[in-house]
Amino acid sequence: MNLLEIDNLHVSIDGKEILKGITLSIPEGEVHAIMGPNGSGKSTLSYALAGRAGYEVTRGRMLYRGEDLTGLSPDRRAALGVFLALQYPVEIPGVTTITFLKTALNAQRRARGESEMDAMQVLRRVRKKAHALNVSEDMLKRPLNAGFSGGEKKRMEILQMSLFEPKLAILDETDSGLDIDALKLVASGVNAQRAADRAMLVITHYQRLLDYIVPDRVHVLAQGRIVTSGGPDLARELELRGYGAVVEAA
Amino acid sequence: MTAMARGLSAPGDVFQDDFARHAPELPGAALDWLSARRQAAMDAFAVTGIPGRRSEAWKWTDLANVLDSGSLAPAGFRKLAPQDSIFPKQANELAFSGGFLTQASVQAGIEVVDLAKLDAEAPGWVRDNLGTLAHGLDQPMGAASLALMRSGAAIRVRTDTSLQLGFFQAPSQRPQVSHSRILLVVESGVSLRLVESHFGADAHGSLRNLGFEIYLRPRSRVEHIRVQKDAPDAVHLTSLGAAIEQDASYRALYAALGGQLARMDVNLRLGGVNSDALIHHVAALAAGSADITSVIDHASPHTRSRQMFRNVVGGRGRAVNQGRVIVRHGAVGSDSHQLFKSLLLSAHAEADAKPELEIFADDVLCGHGTAIGALEEDAVFYLRSRGIPEPEAKLLLIRGFVAEAIGEFGDEAIRDVIWRELDAALASVESAQ
Repeated sequence: MNLLEIDNLHVSIDGKEILKGITLSIPEGEVHAIMGPNGSGKSTLSYALAGRAGYEVTRGRMLYRGEDLTGLSPDRRAALGVFLALQYPVEIPGVTTITFLKTALNAQRRARGESEMDAMQVLRRVRKKAHALNVSEDMLKRPLNAGFSGGEKKRMEILQMSLFEPKLAILDETDSGLDIDALKLVASGVNAQRAADRAMLVITHYQRLLDYIVPDRVHVLAQGRIVTSGGPDLARELELRGYGAVVEAA
Repeated sequence: MTAMARGLSAPGDVFQDDFARHAPELPGAALDWLSARRQAAMDAFAVTGIPGRRSEAWKWTDLANVLDSGSLAPAGFRKLAPQDSIFPKQANELAFSGGFLTQASVQAGIEVVDLAKLDAEAPGWVRDNLGTLAHGLDQPMGAASLALMRSGAAIRVRTDTSLQLGFFQAPSQRPQVSHSRILLVVESGVSLRLVESHFGADAHGSLRNLGFEIYLRPRSRVEHIRVQKDAPDAVHLTSLGAAIEQDASYRALYAALGGQLARMDVNLRLGGVNSDALIHHVAALAAGSADITSVIDHASPHTRSRQMFRNVVGGRGRAVNQGRVIVRHGAVGSDSHQLFKSLLLSAHAEADAKPELEIFADDVLCGHGTAIGALEEDAVFYLRSRGIPEPEAKLLLIRGFVAEAIGEFGDEAIRDVIWRELDAALASVESAQ
């Protein structure tokens, strides 16, 4: 069954059309990669899926488990199991990471009609997950992302993903700004969360990340459209030949 | 009201009039030293009269325009039923009603003198210090509070301890004014935690005018935590002066959470080598104005000051932050920083900020910054994308914004009270359009 079905999606920002008819399906359990040059619309797609204000869907649909996401608030989408790991996680001064995690986790649970967790329960759950991602106790006490290094921010995104257990995870340029060791750590965190009932959409500019998170399908986005799709080999072909040649041939 | 106030802010205003008529009946009128200080203070006050737009330091807080001074009557002593203090019980407790000391529970090592009953028995430490700070030209309302002082307390602390000052204002049907003073002398090497609260019932334009003087003797430390939450129709003025001697430290957290107009006029003198001062101020207001105006005077070498002001303004509220830092000739190695930030949550909310530096010494480090803006859309989206609904996301960001100023002040029980009061204030600010 397809967890996500994007059908002829058109998205505009400030009246300017950025996505010009994207059609894409991701079955449960699969990892798909979206690659494309700068300005092709990769981040627009991720924000449109997450429901950011200002990303206006003018045509088409985004069916998530059969339900159209268009019109749902970002928090509603999160509660339904959609997660976006941001390219640039936002610094939130004054709000400790653990407070944020508890607030977010309980807001999602509340929205789903589940019981809230108390501080100790949250802490126990966070600690269990944090260790594998090398997220220290100290980071949990610091304000969310404030003064975190690039690697720490990305690890924090993956920690959130593992804590919230989404059904659809969108990773927007999670590799950007990471050195090779940090990249491997983040990738193993992501791989640990591959599951039969979960789909992932990995957005990246470079093939490098896909050496560590091997996708089932690769789609190439250019000028707001998917111009070609293929298996993992397509990523390597892009790396060898460059976007220009591949997009032209398609 | 405006016309009347303007007329009265000329020589012969309500305060000068009160002084001319009632000086002989004020507490301690028989004490020559006090009468001389009262007279000098009234002379200083008379230079500006009730301050307003024409005075640079009051250009954003036009008191003359706000006070219905024609009908202000002096508050008399009224015994109130004992009130619960808002902060947890401290080792020493003083309660005030309308500025008058109504309850005192103190331990050994603390002396208290009721200023409403000042007489020839006044101890030397009162005579030496009372009315020598917060009394001059740059704190005109402090000067008025001394000239017209009818109530308050003098406190001397000789041992490490904690002290609560709880000020309550009984409801009044007519606008009243209370001029009161607190004198606090913290002896050498002593550490004091001071918690102060101002709460009040319906005020009908009443004015609470408090002059607060603190002497920090060498190596003493004061942590001052203050919550001011007057009734929405009250006017609150506190003029605080502190003399900070060698190796002494003054750390303060002020929270301005209510009132038609609240102004904190702070004048700190870093008079001893290696003394330091830190002021964190938070204001949350949906209406009225909250003003903090500070002067920090680095008068000795190797002195340090830090100021962090955070305002959350909604509705038609207005926050004013003015900070003047002076580094005197010879005050080498002085280090000062001030940062004023305001979060505006509505189209009509307003914030005014003016940091100033006057540097007369070499080899100093002085920095300042201001920022005024709305909540960042990026941050709101980020939290919402994690499942946090919009109102909760905004409140979390607003709390985070003020949390940096609350920091580690007090203990957990004290911070719980601060947060309880802040959360209530923030909720009303957030909902005011």
